[in-house]
Amino acid sequence: MSQAVVEARAVRKDVASAEGTLSILHEVSLSVSSGDSLAITGPSGSGKSTLLGILAGLDLPSSGEVILAGHKLTAMDEEGRAKVRADHVGFVFQSFQLLPGLTALENVMLPLELHGAGDARQKASDFLARVGLSERLSHYPQQLSGGEQQRVAIARAFASEPRVLFADEPTGNLDMHTGAHVIDLLFELNREQGTTLVLITHEERLALRCQRRVELVAGALAEPEAELSPAL
Amino acid sequence: MLALRLLWRNWRSGEVKLLAVALVLAVAVVSGIAIFADRLDTTLVQQSNAFLGADLIVSGTQPHRQAWSEEAENRGIEQTRVVEFSSMVFSGDELHLASIRAVAEGYPLRGYVETSHEAYSQQPPVRADSIPPAGEVWVDGRLLPLLNIELGDDIEVGEHTLTTTRILVRQPGESGFAMTGARVLMNLADLEQTQVVQPGSRIDYQWLVASDDSGNLAAFREWLQERLTDHDRIRDIDSSQRQLAQTLETGERFLLLAAVVGVLLAGVAIGLAARQFAARHVDQVALMKSLGAGAGRIRQLYAGQLLILATLASLVGLVLGEGIQRGVASSLQSFFNVALAAPAIYAYVLSFFSGLVCLMFFALPALWFLPQVPPLKILRRELAVNQTQLWIQVVLALAAIFLLVSLFSRQLGLSLSVMAALTGILVMSAGIGFVLLKFSRRLSTNAGSIWRLAVANLQRQRGQSLVQMVIFSIAIMLLLTLTAVRTSLIEDWRMQLPENAPNHFLVNIAPQNVEAVQSFLDQEGVDREPLYPMVLGRLTHINGEERDRSLGMNREANLTWTDTLGDDNEIQAGAWWDEWSSETGLPGVSVEEGLAEQLGLSVGTRLEFSLGGLPIEVEVASLRSLDWQSMNPNFFFIFEPGALDDFSATYITSAYLPNDKKPLINELLRAYPNILVIELDRVFEQIRSIVDQVSQGVQLVLWLTLLGGGLVLFAAVTSSIDGRKREAGLLRALGSPRRLVIGSIWAEFSILGFLAGLVGVIGAEILLWNLQYWVLDIPVRAHPTFWVLGPILGAVCVGTLGAISCRGVVTTPPAVVLREAG
Ligand SMILES: Nc1ncnc2c1ncn2[C@@H]1O[C@H](COP(=O)(O)OP(=O)(O)OP(=O)(O)O)[C@@H](O)[C@H]1O
Ligand SMILES: [Mg+2]
Repeated sequence: MSQAVVEARAVRKDVASAEGTLSILHEVSLSVSSGDSLAITGPSGSGKSTLLGILAGLDLPSSGEVILAGHKLTAMDEEGRAKVRADHVGFVFQSFQLLPGLTALENVMLPLELHGAGDARQKASDFLARVGLSERLSHYPQQLSGGEQQRVAIARAFASEPRVLFADEPTGNLDMHTGAHVIDLLFELNREQGTTLVLITHEERLALRCQRRVELVAGALAEPEAELSPAL
Repeated sequence: MLALRLLWRNWRSGEVKLLAVALVLAVAVVSGIAIFADRLDTTLVQQSNAFLGADLIVSGTQPHRQAWSEEAENRGIEQTRVVEFSSMVFSGDELHLASIRAVAEGYPLRGYVETSHEAYSQQPPVRADSIPPAGEVWVDGRLLPLLNIELGDDIEVGEHTLTTTRILVRQPGESGFAMTGARVLMNLADLEQTQVVQPGSRIDYQWLVASDDSGNLAAFREWLQERLTDHDRIRDIDSSQRQLAQTLETGERFLLLAAVVGVLLAGVAIGLAARQFAARHVDQVALMKSLGAGAGRIRQLYAGQLLILATLASLVGLVLGEGIQRGVASSLQSFFNVALAAPAIYAYVLSFFSGLVCLMFFALPALWFLPQVPPLKILRRELAVNQTQLWIQVVLALAAIFLLVSLFSRQLGLSLSVMAALTGILVMSAGIGFVLLKFSRRLSTNAGSIWRLAVANLQRQRGQSLVQMVIFSIAIMLLLTLTAVRTSLIEDWRMQLPENAPNHFLVNIAPQNVEAVQSFLDQEGVDREPLYPMVLGRLTHINGEERDRSLGMNREANLTWTDTLGDDNEIQAGAWWDEWSSETGLPGVSVEEGLAEQLGLSVGTRLEFSLGGLPIEVEVASLRSLDWQSMNPNFFFIFEPGALDDFSATYITSAYLPNDKKPLINELLRAYPNILVIELDRVFEQIRSIVDQVSQGVQLVLWLTLLGGGLVLFAAVTSSIDGRKREAGLLRALGSPRRLVIGSIWAEFSILGFLAGLVGVIGAEILLWNLQYWVLDIPVRAHPTFWVLGPILGAVCVGTLGAISCRGVVTTPPAVVLREAG
């Protein structure tokens, strides 16, 4: 359980703006072991989403290195990073990001189809059943509640059996009760599949359930690698 | 087949519908026009070739080569032969120098020989379904009094006796003035026995060919052209019926222009639909990328979807187009009672691929950036997507249009005209649009709230507004242009054949009969031209040197003299007799300017003619332009009065004879059997009917393209609706009254439509000027009504469309709108 599956070394992110260069992340280093769960917290605008994007290979840091599932993302081109994402990464977003024109089932099938899995339909409906939506396969996102939509998104993220799951405020758009249900699901699947979880949250409740927690303040880790008691 | 599944899902959710509709309509309009135009074209060419008797005639002083016949046979081209000559025909003591045609089986390949059983019968002639059988001849009505015989009597042609069985009323390929003898049509099989074909006799051998497959014929013509010698002449409708050929050509060009306009309109619609599609798919691409699809995979998936979409849309479009084409054709057929020729297969192929080509040229520039959408977009929605730069899109679209227009029209002039107009529109839109939008800021401060809101919106989205304005103005420009061209073409055609243009030529009037014929015609109240003397002569020397025969004008020309210049003649250089004095003391001659240019003549050039072996030398006194389209006798050479007094002339005139005065011809011919009457009334009727058909076709095609224009406006409005929905929803959520929201949208589109109308009119004027000048060869005119109609129609149509498309926004609860619009 000690091998790092996500690792950031001295990651900086600068962006050019009208008022000169804006530094969003300063020398952030962290590592997450396989099967671990990490919560990233911090005030709004502190750079959490930026960091998540870089860790997941959606974006490149201005300097520093990122290693994901043994691949040095910072040394790869976009095609290469796409391959790494395809093989090892799943996402859950605050705004769910379901395609409105696709049914719940098709939304879950999409990553499987993109990977060329033969049994996409079967697998997708299994996962939807796992999140308790076996009755809603042919419903469109608009016909589902927020919590249901996020469960579809979770099914989609886990369907491709990723090693790491990144979640940006997965409960941000949900009420407390629904949020709790979604969190339960996330950790259940995390346990079952041994998936590593990296999630951003404002919610203490969710952060507490993660094995580790870091806080970003103005682009820097405030309590680097603070150890926390394992959840429950 | 993930692409197919994705396409199906996109279709279901309505995201590709606009694109699909645009494509289907593109192909439908293009194929409708292209196939119909092809059929109309083939039909008209065949009809007009009925005047010629064939699609092509190769004539010469020698029979055509056997090898040509074999080649034609191999290529499946129809052929037959005609031998034409002048020869004495006898009956008893009477004789006459007749114009004889010996024809082979199959003659004529186009059109009909018309005969009757009574000379100058009032009965309509009947179409002969064969050529005269061996041993028989069909003869001109006037031959009977000339030889003093009845129908059924024998005549001798050379050494052979033949029986006259029918009166020859009309036959295709009549050569006009060249042969003045009574016409005789005989079977080629009898020719040898007449023994008139001797070494040295003047014989015109004609080889007639025709094919329903115009491509095949063109290829054969090319093949043939390389093998012709100096003695062979190739004739087709262009060289023998200038006016008709011109009408057909402009008609054809119009149809082509319409097809091009159709393609462009559809292209614009496709481009717009593609932009909308792209905008809606940014999120989807970002998501797929976050799921691990690389740019290559995305490209492949979308290319696959588009290809399938284009193929299906093209098929549907083709079926629709075929339906349209059939509808148009059948309405034309019932109207004119003509059978249209079957369409050529290539018209279908071209139409089918036009969908793919349109998609490639118009949709790809808008979609090109999609695979480059950064995956980070999924986390940061506000991230600006690096859309293909607008100017790159514009340049690509311009290049695409140029290519497409060239491809469809194969005419550089047309392509360049369109480019000029489009550039004009772009420059003006950038200029005027910018200035007006800026200026309107001040203007709007004291306008009502609806207008203020509208102007503020336009200003905020200046880029998008300008793009839309350009698109509206292109559509308006194209439609105005087509309307204007149609109107002036049809007017022009009507003018070419005025109702009472002379429709009969009287040729070969003997000098001693001139007075009598004149007074006869005048007594009967016939509308006629003056009688012109005519002497046949051959131009032999220019400035004392034997002339270069390769320059043409080798046949005998009709020479005349007169002291009054015809109405339609105009002196272009030198002077008419009253102001002219000879430099050399030689008599003067006035030469038609086109011929003068061809032969390299100018004022002062000395010419020598041979008139029946006698030479005469003259000096060029003036160069004249004349209207070949008028049906007056026209001459290349007009001599000074008196110059030709030593030569015996015959006289010629033209007259207008309405149907009820036709019997006069019989009276005239009975009295003066030597006169040759060339009846053009039937020919004119036919030409007029062809012109009417073309006009009608043009009209129908215009409606088709209007449909395309409507689609463009619709697409342009809908493509900007997504953004507006959100705003309108927001306004509604903030409590703005429905009237204000919809009113401001209406005002916004109305302003856009008004400006677009204005710019479109300017573009149309540029395009029209270029087209009329370079492509269609018709007079350039201004179109004052456009300047009023364009902006008003633009404002009304675009404004209404905008208001209608946004209506949904105000009727649905704001919350729903906001949620849907994301
Ligand atoms: N490409 C960019 N260009 C300009 N500014 C950027 C860019 N990316 C991020 N920022 C800025 O960097 C800061 C951090 O953004 P980020 O989205 O990472 O914050 P966050 O911690 O996720 O905030 P929140 O909790 O509100 O989601 C913000 O001020 C944002 O505006
Ligand atoms: Mg964030």
